[in-house]
Amino acid sequence: MKILVPIKRVVDYNVKVRVKSDQTGVETANVKMSMNPFDEIAVEEAIRLQEAGTAEEIVIVSIGIKQCQETIRTALAMGADRGILVETEEEVQPLAVAKILKHLVEKESPQLVITGKQAIDDDNNQTGQLLAALLGWSQGTFASKLEFTDDRLKLTREVDGGLETVSLSLPSVVTTDLRLNEPRFVKLPNIMKAKKKQLDIIPMDSLGLDTTSRVKILKVEDPPQREAGIKVDSVEELIDKLKNEAKVI
Amino acid sequence: MTYSAPLQDMEFVLNELCDLEGVCSLPGLQETTPDLASAVLEEAAKIASEVLAPLNRQGDTQGAKHLDGKVVTPDGWKEAYREFIEGGWNSISFSEKYGGQSLPYLVATAVQEMWHASNMSFALCPMLTQTAMEALLMHGSDALKQTYLPKMVSGEWTGTMNLTESQAGSDLSAVRTQAEPNGDHYRLYGQKIFITYGDHDLTENIIHMVLARTPNAPEGVRGISLFLVPKLLVNTDGSVGEPNDVRCVSIEHKLGIHGSPTCVLAYGDKEGAVGYLVGEENQGLVYMFVMMNLARHAVGVEGLAIAERAYQQAASFAKERVQGRPIGTKSGDRVSIIHHADVRRMLMTMRCKVEAMRSLAYLWAGAFDKSTHHPDEDERLRQQQIVELLTPIVKGWCTETGNQLASLGVQVHGGMGFIEETGAAQHFRDARITTIYEGTTGIQAGDLVGRKLLRDGGAAAVMMLETMRKIEPSMADIKEFDKIYKQSLDDLEQATQWLLKAAMEDPQLPAAASYYYLELWGVVVGGWLMAKSALAAQKKKSAGEGDKAFYDNKIKTASYYAAHVLSGTTGLRHTIIEGSDDVMALQVEDF
Amino acid sequence: MGVLVVAEHDNEVLQESTLNAVTAGLEINAEVSVLVAGQNCGGVVDSVGKVAGVSKVLSCEHELYEHQLAESLAGLIASIASDYTHILAAATSQGKNVLPRVAGLLDVAPISDITDIQSADTFVRPIYAGNAIATVQSEDTIKIVTIRPTTFDAAAADGGSAEIVSIDPHDDKQDLSQFMGQELTQSDRPELTSARIVVSGGRGMGSSENFQIIEALADKLNAAVGASRAAVDAGYVPNDYQVGQTGKVVAPDLYVAVGISGAIQHLAGMKDSKVIVAINKDEEAPIFQVADYGMVADLFDVVPKLTESL
Ligand SMILES: Cc1cc2nc3c(=O)[nH]c(=O)nc-3n(C[C@H](O)[C@H](O)[C@H](O)COP(=O)(O)OP(=O)(O)OC[C@H]3O[C@@H](n4cnc5c(N)ncnc54)[C@H](O)[C@@H]3O)c2cc1C
Ligand SMILES: Cc1cc2nc3c(=O)[nH]c(=O)nc-3n(C[C@H](O)[C@H](O)[C@H](O)COP(=O)(O)OP(=O)(O)OC[C@H]3O[C@@H](n4cnc5c(N)ncnc54)[C@H](O)[C@@H]3O)c2cc1C
Repeated sequence: MKILVPIKRVVDYNVKVRVKSDQTGVETANVKMSMNPFDEIAVEEAIRLQEAGTAEEIVIVSIGIKQCQETIRTALAMGADRGILVETEEEVQPLAVAKILKHLVEKESPQLVITGKQAIDDDNNQTGQLLAALLGWSQGTFASKLEFTDDRLKLTREVDGGLETVSLSLPSVVTTDLRLNEPRFVKLPNIMKAKKKQLDIIPMDSLGLDTTSRVKILKVEDPPQREAGIKVDSVEELIDKLKNEAKVI
Repeated sequence: MTYSAPLQDMEFVLNELCDLEGVCSLPGLQETTPDLASAVLEEAAKIASEVLAPLNRQGDTQGAKHLDGKVVTPDGWKEAYREFIEGGWNSISFSEKYGGQSLPYLVATAVQEMWHASNMSFALCPMLTQTAMEALLMHGSDALKQTYLPKMVSGEWTGTMNLTESQAGSDLSAVRTQAEPNGDHYRLYGQKIFITYGDHDLTENIIHMVLARTPNAPEGVRGISLFLVPKLLVNTDGSVGEPNDVRCVSIEHKLGIHGSPTCVLAYGDKEGAVGYLVGEENQGLVYMFVMMNLARHAVGVEGLAIAERAYQQAASFAKERVQGRPIGTKSGDRVSIIHHADVRRMLMTMRCKVEAMRSLAYLWAGAFDKSTHHPDEDERLRQQQIVELLTPIVKGWCTETGNQLASLGVQVHGGMGFIEETGAAQHFRDARITTIYEGTTGIQAGDLVGRKLLRDGGAAAVMMLETMRKIEPSMADIKEFDKIYKQSLDDLEQATQWLLKAAMEDPQLPAAASYYYLELWGVVVGGWLMAKSALAAQKKKSAGEGDKAFYDNKIKTASYYAAHVLSGTTGLRHTIIEGSDDVMALQVEDF
Repeated sequence: MGVLVVAEHDNEVLQESTLNAVTAGLEINAEVSVLVAGQNCGGVVDSVGKVAGVSKVLSCEHELYEHQLAESLAGLIASIASDYTHILAAATSQGKNVLPRVAGLLDVAPISDITDIQSADTFVRPIYAGNAIATVQSEDTIKIVTIRPTTFDAAAADGGSAEIVSIDPHDDKQDLSQFMGQELTQSDRPELTSARIVVSGGRGMGSSENFQIIEALADKLNAAVGASRAAVDAGYVPNDYQVGQTGKVVAPDLYVAVGISGAIQHLAGMKDSKVIVAINKDEEAPIFQVADYGMVADLFDVVPKLTESL
């Protein structure tokens, strides 16, 4: 089968973001950017499926600015086969992303779309579900395990109470959770090979889709700061403070 | 005790000072592009911070052990080594012909910095393998290359360099290990000491490159040959066979780099160790000299790397440790020590010298690539001249400075720096070896004055001085920079002229001056590169490109370097010209 | 036209987070309807009917909805959506799974995990693991929103008397997804996201056996047990214990972090707790920057002592 893996370029998870002084967003210029960690897990899963013989081709898609090519190259260096960049300077919200992906799914006809459950910048946790709805496909969100049996996908999901297992018809949209796998380190020779892999660039405008933002960002602010408290030296002191000062026990 | 590779500064130095783009367009290096280099650095940075750095402490506290005749590396070393070689990192700049990646040495140098900064004890293993591979590649027969190179390139086997014996350290002409011809091979007898990764449990086989004498070899430097001695003999089909007659007798207890086993190797306790001649008989030291440039540069990079690590750690500690109030206030909140000017001085000194060292070490690597790949013969020779001149400076200055900065790193920590828990002390201890192996600083200084200056009558030095005179640092908007800069070049030029003259009067004078002369070169070349950085940053800023804050800081750091480091050249000139005859003033008996 | 809240339940018990969603609904409009879709879920319907402030309960019983699968539930919700200005659910794994799918069916841009309602179309939500707070305005006619339960009070479970209406299931071909089973963590302790006290352990616990130290303390305090991602990844505790940006968000009166360093991703899930206690042997650990009471000590010494002294 063919797998489509949508990935997003985000501020690296180690970076402590700073809110812009004009409150329009957070500072992203000259900040270290990386592949969204959940998407990295998605790429890894696709590659494992390919290594296991379940998947034939892995196509990476990213939507965004020119530099997203680097992120796609990273996925190609991990082992994916080719990439597509839908290029735009604009901010693209999940619904628009899903519409673009739907368009590409119709063109590429994958059996499976695997993407991260959320991007760690906007923390939306929507794109996979939106895409599944637009396509009328099954959805396996927050996946921690994938098994293919008899043309169906048996998928274990991380839910609030523990784990849930569902059987999904194919084609399907899967979103990854943290325990699905541990992404590999990229091998040096594969970085060189990735350079030669096919990467198509499609201007977003050329798709003729409605990608306007429906959610207006009015402002972005710093969160309220929590003050550091005091250090206590003994268990007795701690219990005393919790009982008599904080009054929580 | 984390490490995060300074990718932004690395890329700045590669692109703005070292002409990465030009290097990537050289024949044989065109597979690489600046974009690709940046992807490579990013991935290497992950391995460095996520795989190697977390083991650094363990390596220090646990150390390599010699148990039941076997050398055991610290916990985690094996897994990390596997990750490292499976990732293809062992042979980054090695020819594709043998399975390497053919990346420019310039890019490989930045990667090497990360390995050494994250875990120098670990990084020594691939570094020595690299040196052994170079020796084999340059001088080995095709048959030897075919049997040994691919497995060393892939990292399946590691390599070592066996030069030192107890009576032969700086002076390799005193090597005594014997090699007796025996059919198509030789039998070796003797003892080597201080052999880095001479034995270990990371790979099945280890390939030793050994200096030894054949029976009728001439005395001294002209009678030494180079041999390849595998730990396990290799069968004709390439499989590993019987153990060779070489064994690790013991490993050293050391001040630092505890994770790296330093071995005493005994050759020929029984029937004699089977060795294969590399190249021709009696050419061993000539071959060593060819490789020495690379090996010495690599140790210079260690000095830089440890200093970077020490700087990162000191800066983060200084932001956390709260002590005292801001000067001029008596009440109010206590502040973290980074608010104190003297702590800032230490951090700025560390930072600006690290940047200068990085620029120098990478510049060397770019010149090395051009000296080996440039299509124009004259240009190759010119670059080779730069490489030769700069090699002792990279090795000597970057390691001496590395030590100084690792020591400052301890100082920033106060008492906590002297206590092992923070890790600051480890960097200080680890740095200490860098001025010793691969030729002590004294040997580097002697090389600079003897071979690099006097031998060509100062031609290379004058060429370099002329190159450095071509820029005007004041364009970068730093007060007094032009004046300090010009003065430093004058100081270097005068010291150079004096040395050329003094050498004719008394050969002890240049030797007495050599350390300071090396220091003077380091400081001035560093100043030149800091000035170029500031100019490049200024240009970027005026063009409105890139990260303005980064460029502003570059200019401020260059300014600090000028006023605090470069301004010291006058004293060095004075020491050289006026003080050299004091060095030998006392008689040996007076000590 | 009012607000529709999608109830979360297991056919027997109503999830407490639904009560928080009802409160959020009432902030927007006094007319709040709650959809209870399930199979043999009459008890849940009844209890929703009693929730203060709920005007109407839509009950839809069909085997399609027994396991709350997004594929069937979304179709049902979308089919009745035009009667409402807002569709709300709690930002639980269930709400996050279903509501965006509803939005996809209706061509609406959903809004996730809001922490405040400024007006009928303007909401506040954390982004970047809570390191920035965005105020956003929806331009869709129907607003589809998940709410962060910890930032809205629970509506009173009693005192209401809603009209109960049963509605028809939505006709869907149903081979997309089938429920196969679940492995729920059994525990007599309070539920993590609604507990008054939470005791969490991190990588510093060292093993799953050692987590008993945490559990003993939790039992003494009648607290829920949580964990950092590192502890979950290491297999010390099940995944549903994870607190953080990509796990559960909690805001108890008392949060005790034991052997947790305090990475921003973890802080994102607990820094709204009223009182935070941190026990860590590394005095530089970032957790101390948010802790009201910090104790620099070996957890294996002090936690058992704490349990004993309580
Ligand atoms: C941890 C460690 C790892 C090592 N790894 C290896 C290895 O893998 N392979 C290997 O072959 N060797 C290795 N060595 C050996 C190392 O290269 C030598 O120790 C070094 O070259 C110095 O030699 P020496 O110790 O005999 O010192 P000496 O040569 O005795 O030097 C003592 C002092 O005298 C000075 N001196 C000596 N001769 C002169 C001179 N002509 N002019 C001016 N000053 C002079 C030196 O600068 C030094 O200050 C290692 C050593 C150590 C400690
Ligand atoms: C995409 C992504 C999403 C993530 N989402 C989450 C999330 O939702 N939730 C989350 O928690 N993390 C999340 N993380 C992981 C997060 O970045 C940290 O790695 C994680 O929180 C660390 O867990 P820890 O504090 O238990 O472990 P560590 O950081 O290893 O800290 C262990 C602590 O235990 C202390 N300790 C050890 N032994 C003792 C002892 N005997 N006594 C006292 N103290 C001791 C140590 O001093 C140390 O501070 C995410 C990361 C990514 C990349």
